[in-house]
Amino acid sequence: MVPLDNYLVLSAIIFSIGVYGVLARRSAVLILMSVELMLNAVSLNFVAFAAYLDPTRITGAIFAVFVITVAAAEVGLALAIVIRLFRNRATANVDEAASLKW
Amino acid sequence: MGAEQAWLLAAVPAGMFVVLALFGRYLPRKGDFLGVLAIGTSFVLFFFVLHNFLNAGEANWPMTRDIRWSDIGAFHLRMGIAVDQITIVMFGVVTTVALMVNIFSIGYMKGEPRYWWFFAVLQLFAASMLMLVMADNLLLLYISWELVGACSFLLIGFYWEKRSATEAAKKAFITTRVGDVGLLIGIILLHKATGTFNIQAIIEQAKAGEIGSTYLFVSMCFVFLGAMGKSAQVPFHVWLPDAMEGPTPVSALIHAATMVVAGVYLTARMLPVFEVADGMMLIITLVGLTTALVTGFIALAQTDIKKVLAYSTVGQLGFMFVALGCGRPDAAMFHLMTHAFFKALLFLGSGSVIAATHHNQEMDKLGGLWKKMPITGTTFLVGSLALAGVVPLAGFWSKDEILAGTQTWSGGWVTIVLGFAAIMTAFYTTRLFIRTFLGKPLDQHVHDHTHESPAVMTLPLIFLAILAAISGLVVFNGVGKALGFPGGFTEFVFLEEPERYHIDWALAGGSVVLAVVGIYFSSWMYWGGSLVRSTRLAEFQPRIYEMLQRKFYFDELYQGAIDRGVLGFSYIVSWFDRYVVNDTGVDGSAQMTGYSGFLLKHLQTGKVPNYAMGIALGVVVLAAAGLVVRG
Repeated sequence: MVPLDNYLVLSAIIFSIGVYGVLARRSAVLILMSVELMLNAVSLNFVAFAAYLDPTRITGAIFAVFVITVAAAEVGLALAIVIRLFRNRATANVDEAASLKW
Repeated sequence: MGAEQAWLLAAVPAGMFVVLALFGRYLPRKGDFLGVLAIGTSFVLFFFVLHNFLNAGEANWPMTRDIRWSDIGAFHLRMGIAVDQITIVMFGVVTTVALMVNIFSIGYMKGEPRYWWFFAVLQLFAASMLMLVMADNLLLLYISWELVGACSFLLIGFYWEKRSATEAAKKAFITTRVGDVGLLIGIILLHKATGTFNIQAIIEQAKAGEIGSTYLFVSMCFVFLGAMGKSAQVPFHVWLPDAMEGPTPVSALIHAATMVVAGVYLTARMLPVFEVADGMMLIITLVGLTTALVTGFIALAQTDIKKVLAYSTVGQLGFMFVALGCGRPDAAMFHLMTHAFFKALLFLGSGSVIAATHHNQEMDKLGGLWKKMPITGTTFLVGSLALAGVVPLAGFWSKDEILAGTQTWSGGWVTIVLGFAAIMTAFYTTRLFIRTFLGKPLDQHVHDHTHESPAVMTLPLIFLAILAAISGLVVFNGVGKALGFPGGFTEFVFLEEPERYHIDWALAGGSVVLAVVGIYFSSWMYWGGSLVRSTRLAEFQPRIYEMLQRKFYFDELYQGAIDRGVLGFSYIVSWFDRYVVNDTGVDGSAQMTGYSGFLLKHLQTGKVPNYAMGIALGVVVLAAAGLVVRG
């Protein structure tokens, strides 16, 4: 059986990649993908801990299912926003969508 | 109905106040008959209460009725009424005078605007005043105390279209407020020391010496401050003469017969406590004496009929306080009763004159009204003689009692000063009568249009004149017994050991001499149609005359004190408000917020990655902080 540490390290790596993507990328689509990475890292964490703490219960798995559902909804909404942004500005670069300021 | 149901006396007018205030203007005759009916009911009920009170016998006095009002934790508030001898006397005075004034007002206030409102407030006043005199605890007393003050305010300012009336109403309210705050502080101090508001309980504890003497002295000083304010004693006397701006029946009821004697009533009620507090009796005597003297002098030079009567009222209240200071509540209550009758009579009489001469109350335009107004003139004469203290009218007996009481103070100086005040009383009363009713009319035009008042006004005058003439006789034990009282008036009212009335012939003779001296000098100076002698006297010492006419500059003094002291202080306060509170506090914080916003707004770049970076850094910082704290 794979020890818990491996799962956690993997999860941390994926999450960090996601954070890096969100902070460093300028394309809205890539930022969304990075967010998905972070969410998946969290889901992985949930499932790993659930299996480690009490294999008979599936609480963590249920959480993961919820995270996937919410992520799907979020992507659906966010992509719609990105499409509107692209239609208006002809770009998906978030640095250029900076009119909401002082 | 027992005496415990005495609260009905107040309940009937109180209910009528609500009816008249809400519906008075729609009723036929604007509801004036309902006012007379309500107060008449109280008047009749008074006799039931009196009858039951006397039948109950001395052993059952005072008759009380006690109810629990509210319990807040360990704090139990009880309200109740207590009917004792003083209450009975006050009941009699208040209901009688209030009834007469209500009847008189039908004639006097005829055709005035807000006629119904006038009667409504009279009912509220009667209810509050009756409540005041039967309260068995200081809290209920204080509530009624403020209510009568409010009624006084409303009625002084009845003609609120007139600026002088609103000014006078404000002056009366604010001046008495100074005293009322003192009373409230006194009540709170007494409650703190005794744990009760009940007057009887406080008296017992004070007598038993359970309150520290300095503490008691201070709290009674505050209580007496309230009495001084309400009863217009020097230096609070300035509001009462100005209160004459109100309709004359109001002056008769509130500012002569009933409300202003509330201070005397309170002091008489609490007198056992005052006696225990070292030095209070001397203070009371001195305040009364000063007032009697000062207002006596001022009244000498006033030319407005009502102002003379007002100063005379203040002076007579001073007499009552002297009696209280001498430890003679019976004499004070006796003078209170007779004074209520003859002063109400004099005020209503002057009201009759004012109504007949189309609102003229300046002596300089009156004179020679005797033939035109025989009933008013005769009753006014009776009232004047009673006030001057001519035997055997009411004022003589009560003033004699007070003069007899002053002998408690050794040295006789109180008696001498008060005797001098009595001469002045006789002097200005005679002057008032002569200049109004005798001699040649000073203004022929006014004189020609004068006519006797209608019966609705003269009948109360006649009734009060009879009372002013004979009410003094209750001082005799025989008369008192015949009326059903155990003994005479002094014995009835005296709360401690009964003291038999025995006439001191030397003093009585002296008192008559005082009255005659005053009347003689006054007649010498004013009678004969010409005022040559008085004018010459005024010109002989113009500065003294001016000083008297300007009322010893009390108003100017207060105005000056207010201008310099209060306005100076408020200038400082307004500076503080403007520059410290407003500029630094309010505007300063607003500007600070604005400036920091000006600096910080650049953080809002509109670029989402910047915000995301902020969030990420925040999480890192929080996580690091968490690690450090957890160790």
